[in-house]
Parts: sequence; C-alpha cells; structure tokens
Amino acid sequence: MNLEKVIFAFFIILALSVNTSFFISGLVAPDFLQAIELALALVVSLICTVLKFGDRTQFGSTVLASSLVVDLLLIAAAVLWGVASQTGHESLSTAQTATILSLAGGALIANLLSVILLIIETSQLRR
Amino acid sequence: MANIFFLVLRRMRVPLILLIIVYSVATIGMTLIPGVTPEGETWRMSYFHAFYFVSYMGTTIGFGEIPYEFTDMQRSWVLMCIYTSVIAWLYGIGSVLRLVQDETFLRAVSRRVFQRNIKRLDSDFYIICGYGETGEMINRGLCNLGIQTVVIDQDAERISSLELGDFLIPPISLIADITNPSNLVDAGINNPHCCGVIALTNQDHTNLQAAVASKLANESVRVICRSEIEDEAKNMASFGTNLIINPYLIFAQRLKLLTSSQQLHQLQGWFINQYSDKQTHSLADQDETSAPKTGKWIICGYGRLGKAIHKAIEELVDDVTIIASDPIASRAPDGAIVGRGTEADTLLEAGIDSADVIVAATNDDANNLSIIMTAKQIKSDIFTVGRVSKETNQILFDRANCHYVMRRSLVVANEVLTSITRPLVTKFIKFSNSLTEDETAELANRIQSLSSHCEPVTWRMELNTDSSPELVNFINSGTNITIGKLCENPKIPNSRCIPLLLLRNGVSQVLPSADQLLMEGDDLLVCGPRGKVLLPQRLQHNTELLDSLINNNTKHIPLLRWLARRKAKTD
Repeated sequence: MNLEKVIFAFFIILALSVNTSFFISGLVAPDFLQAIELALALVVSLICTVLKFGDRTQFGSTVLASSLVVDLLLIAAAVLWGVASQTGHESLSTAQTATILSLAGGALIANLLSVILLIIETSQLRR
Repeated sequence: MANIFFLVLRRMRVPLILLIIVYSVATIGMTLIPGVTPEGETWRMSYFHAFYFVSYMGTTIGFGEIPYEFTDMQRSWVLMCIYTSVIAWLYGIGSVLRLVQDETFLRAVSRRVFQRNIKRLDSDFYIICGYGETGEMINRGLCNLGIQTVVIDQDAERISSLELGDFLIPPISLIADITNPSNLVDAGINNPHCCGVIALTNQDHTNLQAAVASKLANESVRVICRSEIEDEAKNMASFGTNLIINPYLIFAQRLKLLTSSQQLHQLQGWFINQYSDKQTHSLADQDETSAPKTGKWIICGYGRLGKAIHKAIEELVDDVTIIASDPIASRAPDGAIVGRGTEADTLLEAGIDSADVIVAATNDDANNLSIIMTAKQIKSDIFTVGRVSKETNQILFDRANCHYVMRRSLVVANEVLTSITRPLVTKFIKFSNSLTEDETAELANRIQSLSSHCEPVTWRMELNTDSSPELVNFINSGTNITIGKLCENPKIPNSRCIPLLLLRNGVSQVLPSADQLLMEGDDLLVCGPRGKVLLPQRLQHNTELLDSLINNNTKHIPLLRWLARRKAKTD
C-alpha cells in the first residue's frame, strides 16, 4: 500500500462527495444554501489539483485537467455568490441560486470523471 | 521547457497544499466565529470579507479589523492564524529558493538553454569534445576566425572557465558525457550547419567512443580525433574517422625535417603558425649553426615520443643512444642504458661528451628540465630538444634555453586549425616535402624579401561566383588574366604576393607559373606580407580596380572611365 496513493484517492473521492452534498442540499432546499459546503468543495478540489502537479503520465494529465475544470467552475460559483451577497440583498434571488447550483452541477460531472479515471487506472494494475 | 515546468510543479506540491489548507482553515474559522456590531448585535463575517481579511493578514499587510472591531474570541483565532500563515509562506518561499539552487533544476535549465541556443544557430559551427589545454587553443583559434563552437566537457570547472574567457563569438557550452550519443545529438550533430566534431580529450578511448557515436549519429559529419596510441588510431580509421592526429608522430616528422632541411622546416613553420601568436616549435635562435647535427643523438625516455623520434631519425643519424628507465619493458633497442638521464653518471655513460643532440622525451616536465640542464652543464654546445606536458611549464623551458620544444597541445591545435580552416595550406605543406633544396631556398628567399623578414600570411582565393563575382565576370566575358598579372602587378605597390598552390578540378599544382591563365572554379593559395591587404583579396569585389588593371583604363573620373570602357569594347 502506498500512502501517497491513499492520500490522492482520498482527496479525489472527498472532492466528489463534498461537491455532491452541496449540490443535493441546493436541490432539496434552495433557500438554505450552505456557503461552508461550497467553500469545502473548493478547498478540496484545489488540493486535488496541486496533488496532481508534476505527474507526466497520460492518466495524471487527464485528472489534472478535470481538476482544473472543477476549480474553474467552483471559483466562478464562489465569486458569483460573493458578488451577489455584497450587492445589497440579504438573501440570494432564485436566478442567482440557479446559476450557482448549475455551476456546482457542472463541477460534479468533472469530479465524477476524475473518480472514474481513478477507478480505471486502479483496475488496470497488474500484480 | 515542459521538463522544467513539471519539475517546479512537482517540488511545489507540499508547500502549495500547506498554503491552501492554512488559508481555507483561517477563512472558514473567521466565518464561523461570531462578532458583535457597535450596536451590540451578533454578526458573522461573510466568506468574501473573511477571505479579504485572511489575504491581507497572511501577507502581513494588516489593514486592521474590518468591518467592525473584533471580539476577543475572533482575536485569539486571528493570533493563531497569523503565525501559521507566516510559517506556511516562509516554507513556500524557502522551497522556491531551494529549488532555484537545486543541482537537478539548474542542470535542467542549462540543458534547456543549451538546446535552444543550438536550435537558433544559423551559421556553421564545430563541436569540440573535451575542453583541456588543446581544446582551449582550438576554441580560441576558431573564435578568432569568427567560427562558432560548441564545447562539451564533463568537468564543470573547465566549462565555467570557458564562461569567464573573453571570446569574440561566445561558445555554447554543456557539461555532459561526450561518449553518450544523445548528448552529441543535443549539441546539433544533425544540424545542417554542423561542420564537424573534434574529439580532443587526452584519453584515446574516450575520443574513440566520441568518434563512433558521432559517426553513428550522422555518418556524413566530419570527425577529427586526437590519438596517441597507434592501435586506437587504427581502430578510429577503420570506421572512417576523417582526420586522426598523433602529436608525437607530427613532432617527430618536424624534428626530422629540421635535421634534414632547415630551410624547408622554416618555410612550413611560417604557414603552420599563422593564427597562433606563439610558435609551434620555437627555435631559440634561427642561426644556421643551431641546426642539429647528424652525429650522435641521445634520447632520454623511450615512451611514445621517444619511439616516434627514434623511428623518424634512425636513418638520418649516425648513432642513437637510448636512455630508458626500463629498456626491456619499453622494448628499447639493444645497447640502451638503464636510468632516467637526469644524473650526470647516466649521461656520461651514454657518451654525452661526443653527442650532438640530446632529446628529453620523458613524460615528466621536471625530469626533462633536469636532463636538459645537466646535459648543458656537461657539454655547453649541445642541441637540446625538450618535451613540455603542461603548458604552464613552457616558461621554464624557455628559461633553460631549450633549443627545440615540443608542446603537445599546441602541435594538435595547430594541426587541427590548419586542416579545418586552411585546407590548401595543409595540401601545400604536404607537397612542399617534394621540393628540391634549390627550389626551397629560392622560395624562402622570395618570401623573405617580399615580407621583409617577417612571417608571411597566406590567403585563399576562390574563383567562383560566390566569393569573387566581379573577377569571375571578367574571366567569363573573355578577358585573359594570368596568375602573374594578379599576384605581381607592378602598378599597385605593396600588394604583391606569391602564388603557392593552384587547385583546379581536384588537381593541385605547387608553385604555379606566372603566365598560367586563371579559370572559373580555380582555388588559389597565395602568401604575402603580414598586415597588408593583398591584391587578390581587394580584387574580389572591386570592379574599377579590375578594370584599370586588366583593360589599362587609367581614367579617374567615372564618366570618362565608362566612356573608355565602351571604346575598348567597340574596338
């Protein structure tokens, strides 16, 4: 067992889980969107990206690319939220909530892709 | 580039993750801890404010507590965050600095710079493998001629000495193993501008490996090798090494020439030493009396040089005595005397009283000096030949008034430079060995009277449309120009020169006669006084000069000149 691999898989799966929980909570109760969940998803995704730095294999570069997509979408969502909350109104409008959620949904797809890639790589290992 | 980029990313992984964690924990903490507004209400920081605050706190800019003053709870959290973020930053910056100083990183960067420089080369260049004393001389010689060099050596110290050197055209250098073909490919061996590879290390086997690697990487590239062992030289020749230089054999031939025909030796010496400021084999005084006599020779040391000299002069000299430390192991001929030659006893035993010449050919500079000085003490008028292994010891041999000195590096450097930059001179030197004594004396006198007893310089003149278009135009338009008209025109003072060699259709002709007509495609080697611009050189582009020379058009005003030319044509 390789500790580095454990840490890497942990963060990739965690990114997917946190992202999903944020997305689901948004779908179930759009009025009570939790900022901390988005923040956690973003942080975990950033760490994932950095973990894949310097890996020159084909698999590594694809995972790095999908991580970058996740970062991009989540940062966009966070910035949007920040701007929206600073422009007067106490709560988000429905349109704003929808945009944030759709961005998070897009990130979810990319995260899912990372996990699928991880599973494919693992299954290709020959002992 | 990709290499360096990934290397940086890989090394920055841990510090970056640490920074992300510290920042996110600090930011999330700030949003969770409740604060109090001046009106006494409880409030929580938004993510936007929290990130803003952590950003300026982490970078120690410190805009203060906004939007409201913090509570004690918030302050204790900030206190903790300040220290962790500062440590994370220090760690991150430290990692970057360490990476910049890292050997692997520096090597990757320098390799990258090297490859880019090679790719950008747009002029002809030579690859020099091994930057020792010889490499240094050849590199300098080529740079002075305006030829780009690429230098590869394994020794980082030698390469950094190259960077300190003051060169007209800075050489491109790489610290690498020359026997590895991929390094040679990096150095541009497949580049169409690559003129050749020069392997110059003092290890024959390394040179051999470099030559094999070069020939395998690019079969058509010219390979020049230094070799001091005959077996290795044969090996090199077997796969088509273009030029193999053995300094001992060359020196032995020069010494033989000096003994048999001093004038020819001097003549060749003029042309060999053209670009090096020092002489290959410096004769302390150029008097006739200083030529070695062919009576009795003593050779101290029977290594590669001793053997080469012995073989070269054997038939010329009446009596040769060898002094060797181990005559049986070095397979010295019968009658060899055991010893080093540094003591008077051994020299006396070898019969120094009746000897004319002593050769100090051991591989130790101090011993050679000792031999020369001891010999001079016993017999003051003896002709001394010494071998210098280290260039820095040259000054000691000058002090000891050694008549004829062999400097291995310089012998190789001159040979390489002459053969690659002045191939016609190499041809001339080869053919000049067949000149008779009278011809040699006459040529030497002509050159000396022309160059007023200074060393002459040689010029190559190619009659083709690229290098002398005007002259070729004249020849093609039916004008007859003889070599004599070109080289010894009485109308233009101080521009006379002596034609040495004419190469026409691959056939060389030594000392071509003056009434021979020039043709397109001719390659002419001329020599003349140093520091003067020779006529053939001036003629290459100067139409008016050509006109006045060939058509005797002496008018100075362009219009009159043109009219005269028209008149000459219509006639």
